[in-house]
Amino acid sequence: MVRRLPREITPGAAARRTLLADCLIALVLALAAIALAAGIGVVGFAALLVLLVLVLWIAVEAGVRRVLRRRRRSAPPVRRRGRRAQVEDETGLDPLREEPTADQPR
Amino acid sequence: MPSARSERRPLPIPFWRRARRIFLLATIACLVPAGISWMGAMSQAHNVGLGVSSVEWLRQNGGGPIVTQIENWYYTLTAPSKGGPALSALPQVGVASSEGGGGKTAKAYRPPKVVPLIHPALPGEGVWKKAAAGAGPRPPVLVTTFRSDPEYPQFVAGVAWIDSARTELAYVPGLAEPPPPLAHRGSGEVPEGKRGRLVATFNGGFPLETSNAGLIYRGKVVEAMVDGVATVVEYRDGRIDIVKWESGASAPANVWFAKQNLPPIINNGKLNPNLSDGPEWGETVNNAVRVWRSGIGIDSRGNLLYAAANYQTVESLAKILQRAGAVRALELDINEDWTSFISYRHPGAVQPSNLLPEMFRPAERYLTPDERDFFALYLRPGQKW
Repeated sequence: MVRRLPREITPGAAARRTLLADCLIALVLALAAIALAAGIGVVGFAALLVLLVLVLWIAVEAGVRRVLRRRRRSAPPVRRRGRRAQVEDETGLDPLREEPTADQPR
Repeated sequence: MPSARSERRPLPIPFWRRARRIFLLATIACLVPAGISWMGAMSQAHNVGLGVSSVEWLRQNGGGPIVTQIENWYYTLTAPSKGGPALSALPQVGVASSEGGGGKTAKAYRPPKVVPLIHPALPGEGVWKKAAAGAGPRPPVLVTTFRSDPEYPQFVAGVAWIDSARTELAYVPGLAEPPPPLAHRGSGEVPEGKRGRLVATFNGGFPLETSNAGLIYRGKVVEAMVDGVATVVEYRDGRIDIVKWESGASAPANVWFAKQNLPPIINNGKLNPNLSDGPEWGETVNNAVRVWRSGIGIDSRGNLLYAAANYQTVESLAKILQRAGAVRALELDINEDWTSFISYRHPGAVQPSNLLPEMFRPAERYLTPDERDFFALYLRPGQKW
């Protein structure tokens, strides 16, 4: 009897499942590279270059994200106002407490 | 009522980020076996720096073409300019002017002086000097220097002449070259018991995996011999020769050792007309790239000639040997890390001296274990210093 993986899982379990799948795919790629390359020296050399590029990419992305986060923190907070406050601004009256006069718009 | 757990959907990872993660994991997985191999190689005895050892590891593990290409780019970018200020003096080599200067004396032959290419000649240019202090009227090794190229008047070639009647040549395997397995490898240095008769040592050729050539050691084939390739041969009767090999892949009965390296650069007294690049020249920098190069030749009387200089092409190296009197010659190893000619001023390998002061490796090189194979010259039994 085939047991299927549960469909309803926590986000953490889903993330771990994805990571496991990625590790397996990476292992297959690495084995293929080692088998097809002219020698382990070529594999190591190419892997070192790729690692350098990836680390630089991740570092640049992390740096950009940090700068954007700092900018968001230092910008003045945007006041989110509800409908009641907007009406009060326009008419000068609290719409829940006071009736408009004849010369004031409803 | 649906549960809170089922209502929370995990955020999907963007495809590009997941692909990056996979590549990162694959890269780390590749680096593990490569790192283990590299560390194993670095843990062995070396007498070169970590950088050079790492390059050699890369070369020995399939990365020869990568190393060669990078070397080509580097040497092309750092190629020397023509011309420049003239030299006022040559580097000091040898210990005294060889008496006679050339031609035949009553008993001993002396090579003729090397005619300088650039005029006026500098003091001592092309004049043979004894390599050993206290050497008698027939020094086993003579050395000289001369400016080898009028277009590059600052570059100096060093040449050594070796009296084959008084010396015997030995091929000494290094610790890593030839690659294992090799029977009777030795310790990769001049044996202690033989240093009393040692007169000179010099570098070998390219590693076997890059030379596309063969090796016979102690009468047995280590790597199949290749016809048409220049070969340094020692026969079982002690005679030395440099030949264009035509004896097939196996070891002839009368050969003690035979080291091949690339096509001949001089044959029958003439330069090889095909000194340009091609697969027959091995996995190495382009022949027209100017680097440290060395070569060995033989004159018409059977005496050996060794030449080395910086910023040489294959053709200019061949011309140096031809000018010194070689009728057959082959290129040996190249690059500053590998070219060495060392003579010993006194018996017992005392006071070693590089042929050219600017040679990179120390003069004690072959008195300690070396990774690469080399040649050692000894006085023949019964010969006096």
